[in-house]
Amino acid sequence: MIRNKIFSLFILLCFSGVAADELNTKDQLRYQSLIQEVRCLVCQNQSVAESNAELAKDLRREIKLQIKDGKSDSDIKKYLFDRYGEFILYEPAFSQKTFFLWFAPIILLMMFYGWFKKIGN
Amino acid sequence: MTRRLLPLVLFFVLMGFLALSLYESESELPSPLIGKPIPEFSLENLITQQIHSNTEIIGEVSLINVWATWCVGCEIEHEFLVELSQDETVGIPIIGLNWKDDDQLARLWLNQLGDPYSIVLKDPEGKTAIDFGVYGAPETFLIDSNGIIHFKHIGPLDREIFEKDFLPVIGELN
Repeated sequence: MIRNKIFSLFILLCFSGVAADELNTKDQLRYQSLIQEVRCLVCQNQSVAESNAELAKDLRREIKLQIKDGKSDSDIKKYLFDRYGEFILYEPAFSQKTFFLWFAPIILLMMFYGWFKKIGN
Repeated sequence: MTRRLLPLVLFFVLMGFLALSLYESESELPSPLIGKPIPEFSLENLITQQIHSNTEIIGEVSLINVWATWCVGCEIEHEFLVELSQDETVGIPIIGLNWKDDDQLARLWLNQLGDPYSIVLKDPEGKTAIDFGVYGAPETFLIDSNGIIHFKHIGPLDREIFEKDFLPVIGELN
């Protein structure tokens, strides 16, 4: 009797583990794209998705947990940003410091346009 | 003439910026946690198995040292940490955060190499380490009596670094 109970408890535990670990398809896609955007800090220039470093595993687990908790992508990114700074995200946030970075292409394009027009004349 | 030279000047200015950034220390990532309180946690004491929260361990200017037995740099700095913990002129408690480690190995390490820590909390899952923005052990944080983080050092700590980067800040905080 007791053995039976232990056995069913064991089975239950096995399956609860599986069920808790799985994300639905939509969340799975979110998870995949999020971990591509997060830089692995130990192994710089690899995303967390590609890396096998312990910290990368922990970060993947944390991202998965937060998706399951119903956190939005921006919540999760803010969570990482608050702890590790902007370096952890591949796409730099828009700020005073990165202003030039974001607008450089447009500024350069306009400069070249003016230049070529002058040469044309 | 000046108009024609403008692109050339701009080019050299750009080159100058690029050259400067070459010599910047590239591996040093600033922590966004400087100036902020230590994260909330409740962790088990490696030795006594008691649970401690973040509010219980603050109250004094202290160091928080993230370490593990699998971490090579931790072995390098350990002797200095033991020395520092016995240094009464500095008199700073060192709080250990044992990161993703094996309890038995960690206790053995402290028995054999000496225990510099006023308290050692363990973080087997690495969750608190993420909250601290840790990305590689050893890392050492300097906190004030309210638990505000004032400085963070990545890599093995030694006397030179301690005297250069930590002591002046500790002096201000006391």
